[in-house]
Amino acid sequence: MARLIDKKLSRRRFLGTSGCALAVATVGAQTTVLKALADSGEVTTSKMGGTKDVFTACGMCVNKCGVIARVRDGRIHKLDPNPEYIKSRGMLCARGNAGVKVVYDPDRLKYPLIRSGKRGEGKWRRASWDEALDLVAKNMNEIAEKYTRAGVMFASTEGTFQEHFFLQMAECFGSPNTVRHPSLCLSSNIQGFSATYGTFPTPDVLNADYIIMAGANRSEALITPDSIDQLKGDGGRRKLIYLDPRFTKTAAKADEWFPIKPGSDMAFVLAMINVIVGEGRYAKDFVEKMTVGFDMLVPHVKQYTPEWAAVECEIPAEDIKRIAREFAKAAPKAVFYPGRRSSFADDDVQLRRAMAILNAVVGNWDTEGGLVPNSHIPLQNHDYLAPWYDGVPLRIDNGSAAFLSEKDGSWTAMRDRILEEKPYPVKGMMIYKQNVLMSVPNRAKTMKMMDQMDFICTIDIAMSDTAWYSDVVLPEATYLERQDPLESIGGILPVVAFRQPCIEPLFESKPNLWIMQNLAKRLSSDIADTFDFTMDDYIHHQVEKNPKILKDLKSKGVHYMKVEPSYGLTKGKRLRTKTGKIEIYSENYVKKGLDPMPVYKRHAGVPTGKFRLIVGRNAYFTHGTTANNAYLHDLMPENALWLNTQSAKKMGLRDGQMVKVKSNVGEGTLKLEVTDKIRPDCVYMAHGFGVISKGQSLIYGVGACDAALIEEKLEPISGNVAMHQTFVDVSPA
Amino acid sequence: MKEKRYAIVLDTRRCIDCKACTVACKAENNVPIGNETYRNWVTEDPLRGTYPHLGQSFAPSQCNQCENPPCNSVCPTSATGITAGGIVTVNPDKCIGCKYCMLACPYDARYYNEETGVIDKCTFCIQRIVVGGIPACVETCPTKVRVFGDLNDPSSEVSMLLAKNKHRVLKPEMGTKPYLFYLI
Repeated sequence: MARLIDKKLSRRRFLGTSGCALAVATVGAQTTVLKALADSGEVTTSKMGGTKDVFTACGMCVNKCGVIARVRDGRIHKLDPNPEYIKSRGMLCARGNAGVKVVYDPDRLKYPLIRSGKRGEGKWRRASWDEALDLVAKNMNEIAEKYTRAGVMFASTEGTFQEHFFLQMAECFGSPNTVRHPSLCLSSNIQGFSATYGTFPTPDVLNADYIIMAGANRSEALITPDSIDQLKGDGGRRKLIYLDPRFTKTAAKADEWFPIKPGSDMAFVLAMINVIVGEGRYAKDFVEKMTVGFDMLVPHVKQYTPEWAAVECEIPAEDIKRIAREFAKAAPKAVFYPGRRSSFADDDVQLRRAMAILNAVVGNWDTEGGLVPNSHIPLQNHDYLAPWYDGVPLRIDNGSAAFLSEKDGSWTAMRDRILEEKPYPVKGMMIYKQNVLMSVPNRAKTMKMMDQMDFICTIDIAMSDTAWYSDVVLPEATYLERQDPLESIGGILPVVAFRQPCIEPLFESKPNLWIMQNLAKRLSSDIADTFDFTMDDYIHHQVEKNPKILKDLKSKGVHYMKVEPSYGLTKGKRLRTKTGKIEIYSENYVKKGLDPMPVYKRHAGVPTGKFRLIVGRNAYFTHGTTANNAYLHDLMPENALWLNTQSAKKMGLRDGQMVKVKSNVGEGTLKLEVTDKIRPDCVYMAHGFGVISKGQSLIYGVGACDAALIEEKLEPISGNVAMHQTFVDVSPA
Repeated sequence: MKEKRYAIVLDTRRCIDCKACTVACKAENNVPIGNETYRNWVTEDPLRGTYPHLGQSFAPSQCNQCENPPCNSVCPTSATGITAGGIVTVNPDKCIGCKYCMLACPYDARYYNEETGVIDKCTFCIQRIVVGGIPACVETCPTKVRVFGDLNDPSSEVSMLLAKNKHRVLKPEMGTKPYLFYLI
């Protein structure tokens, strides 16, 4: 992996060969200022002119941080953080700063494209919007006619405030088959915590004195404000314990790092509960008043001793005991951080239940430095009356998981049913922003599913692998060129975010609402009627009951109600669980035939000669969407396979050589990075490389794709995929 | 009013190597994309220890805005100058791109800009300072590693940080008197 340090070291070598150049300077606004300053030797007034500042919200990842776009002469020059935006603490990360290159990316989609060669061959012809939308509507209606309206599936993802319109289209067209990112991400996490607390709470990282993060790599998998707040304890006030098979940048910042055996986190958590309960260190009053099932928990965790857990997770029993005691002592300002690497294993819901229960027994609920239920700033819904159709079946993945989300579905379960055409055929795909070939494990199977489709349409801003495998590709305006609906973002300090156009959409790109409205007109008047509003109507409707929201957004780019957290609002009230209390023991789970309390089951070990492939994030990329961004690509131009130094030595592999990685479902070739920063039985690669699409010129032909290798093991309670249950062979390429 | 003397104080214990500063700087200052063109950067210090007892820190850096800049004295065309506030600048009209200054700089802080044909480096975002702003890297840093301000003002945040904390500069033996201070 190329590091900046390598580049810096080579600068001197570069000097030797390039000689003295006397080039003509292209003087921009920047150099004009410098020239003036250098000439006079004084700091004088700026010569920059024509600057317009526009408040907007970042669209590079899921955080939606506040941004001010500095626009000069109709061009976005720089994206700066909005200092008023409390969720991101007035800061902006590398991806946020790189947003300008999303707009001015030579690879971006410029006009509608219709496939002219074979699917995936990369032959396209430019089409007008009219022609492209006519073709999409014709295909959607034909599929509906032939296979029912459920025959078109709708895949989309988070991060765009216009996803709502796409989901409205699915509903009004009449398909129950919507599938979103959560079952590739945190649906198991949400299920586990919600089953316990009735909601998915937020950890008050800023005020916590003791934090345990298991796989939540917050220095790289950036989540605001947690990634920022985790650093506040430097100087000794706060302790961070970090469990991860990799030594990440979070490990570098932690007080203690343990390279836990993947899949054994639950053993660690249950042993902590064993110590805290067994030694009477739990919050007795709290447990009595606020929880149900503690009586059953006590005998249940007796078996899970630290000595037993030490064997399972390869963390010394003494450390587990000590951490449990420290955690209980710091409570309730102690958090076992709820999340969230994508589902680790097929018992992930029960792992999250164990984490939720551990937090509960120390009284860590709705309190400063603990887990806090989210507040929300209410916005009015824009209602519509969806047309009603006869003969539309239930969603195709119905019943595939014990608690399946109606809107999100289960990606891999849906894919399996579509491939089997059971209980009915799905022959059309409408995709908005989701890069399913990059994000859904077992890429070959996703491709097979796409091969089986009569028609595929993708709406995106870039030629993703998924767009590359489509029949029609529709270019969306980027987040910096659109007026989006207002977005209410929940949290300890909730905000309303605002995204307004900084410049006019480039080329022929259009906002999603425009695309949906114009598609609706072609589908039927019933559907078109539900889209009979303007963005302006929509936004004014959202703030109907509180016009101050819009006023704030226009004057400072964000609306919030408070700058100090409120704690304890749920104390003495019913929680949104069946019993109204924190459910250590879940009757709901018993009814579904599930374990009412987390039961540890040992996972299959790594077969001899193989490695467990683990996934993770870094601070430069958001999944598969940013690796082709010029600024970010500059930081990390390819991915490499991390392999432990000892393992590499045994196999005779050396740093930097090309290796082939092979799993049961696919293979890839990439560079080897020999490092101590990973367990000897695991390998890791960054996400976002090994692309199929030649429309991503910076990364085409570079690195390997983790989605091609990962097997789709299903977590049966939530329908999530288990990302850490794939074993691979590594050999010289 | 006393003359200003700008400085940046860095608390590297807070640095998570997210490289927000590097991208912010590139966008703000039109720094070309490609190898070896950086006005500021973050490097990974070598990994300490052996598995599983590991430690690592990260090292953000940029032009040290020396009081005694060696780049200044070697420049054959007097392209390098020092503005009020102590900011070391390069006049692109005078610079002939000979790179002597790059060799002279002990901090490796200068690069040759292929697009303009001249040497470029950090100026504390002078164009932002003159309109009352702060450097882009300082403004954007998620964990607030960098603090920018006037060391001649005893009530500034930089002055207070240095008064309260132990700190060091890079390569003090070079006699360059840098104005980038690292908290220890």
